[in-house]
Amino acid sequence: MSRASNNSGLKQGVIDGLPLLGGYIPVAISFGVIAVQAGFSTLEATLISVFIYAGASQFLLVTMVAAGSPLWLAVCMTLLVNVRHVVYGPNLVPYLTQSKAWPYLMHGLTDQIFALAHTRLPQLDDSKKVEWFKGVSMVAWLSWILGTALGGVAGESLTQQWPVLDSVMPFALPALFLVLLAPKFSNKRWCATLLVTITIALVIALGPFKNAAIPFAALCGALTFYVLTSHIERKQSHAN
Amino acid sequence: MQTETWIAITVAAIGTYALRVGPLLWTQRHFNKHKVDNTEARLPTWLSVLGPLMIAAMLGASLIPKAPSSASWVATAVGTFVTALVWRKYRSLGLPVFCGVLSFGLAFVLLA
Repeated sequence: MSRASNNSGLKQGVIDGLPLLGGYIPVAISFGVIAVQAGFSTLEATLISVFIYAGASQFLLVTMVAAGSPLWLAVCMTLLVNVRHVVYGPNLVPYLTQSKAWPYLMHGLTDQIFALAHTRLPQLDDSKKVEWFKGVSMVAWLSWILGTALGGVAGESLTQQWPVLDSVMPFALPALFLVLLAPKFSNKRWCATLLVTITIALVIALGPFKNAAIPFAALCGALTFYVLTSHIERKQSHAN
Repeated sequence: MQTETWIAITVAAIGTYALRVGPLLWTQRHFNKHKVDNTEARLPTWLSVLGPLMIAAMLGASLIPKAPSSASWVATAVGTFVTALVWRKYRSLGLPVFCGVLSFGLAFVLLA
């Protein structure tokens, strides 16, 4: 990916966050529709998006609450789905500055923001990093909130009027992930590891355990990386 | 909505934030300690490997079309190919994503 440009950090963050809109808005509209169908008001659905702000787990939470599941179980399942976030913060620490703002900004650390930050932060000057993160996470957060509100108010009629857009726009997310990951396909070991991870995630997500796809595929990928690294090291030691 | 439901939502919100911020604070403290001791802090290899792998897993899971059909799968393949091709040429962020979505949409509309 090209180095960050001369834009201000905030402006660069907003620009980098724009591709997220294609993925966030249709999903947020769907969440608004489902939450309202499940008996929540538009305001309540929007507040869930403001404060929890974690895609898949929000769907799970409102569905479980609407189905009358015990609330403690709904909360536990929500946190279980979100537990993958524990690896995001530590992976960003080497690129963060000493600013006290970072802990507050972590409310905006979604899957997609992590993917963007993990690639973009190492390329930015330290002076721009906090502002960049504010810009990119505000674009994502606001689009999620406004999408939810829109879904609650007029979601069903919107998706009926433009069914093609509803199917096409979410492709922005895999396209973005692909672009963020592309520089990593730099050697055979990483190529094999990434292809294994992508394939396993795809296969699991096609089945009934969608929420397990990301953590399980990442663990399988880590195992592949470890096996390949040991194999290469063994080969090198034999050669010596 | 009932008070208990609001309490559950509040706990879920605080818990999600804690999952995001807790490990960050812990790692920052670890790095700062190394800085004071004048030693180099490094993430454990398994943790630094997991970062890109989480992105790869998100890519795999998000490749599934919203309404799976032969048309949407072919459109996904076209969109992925075009995104990779444009990235290879321009090495930028926005343009490959834009071309990928556009080609996905065109393929989807033509094939559907």
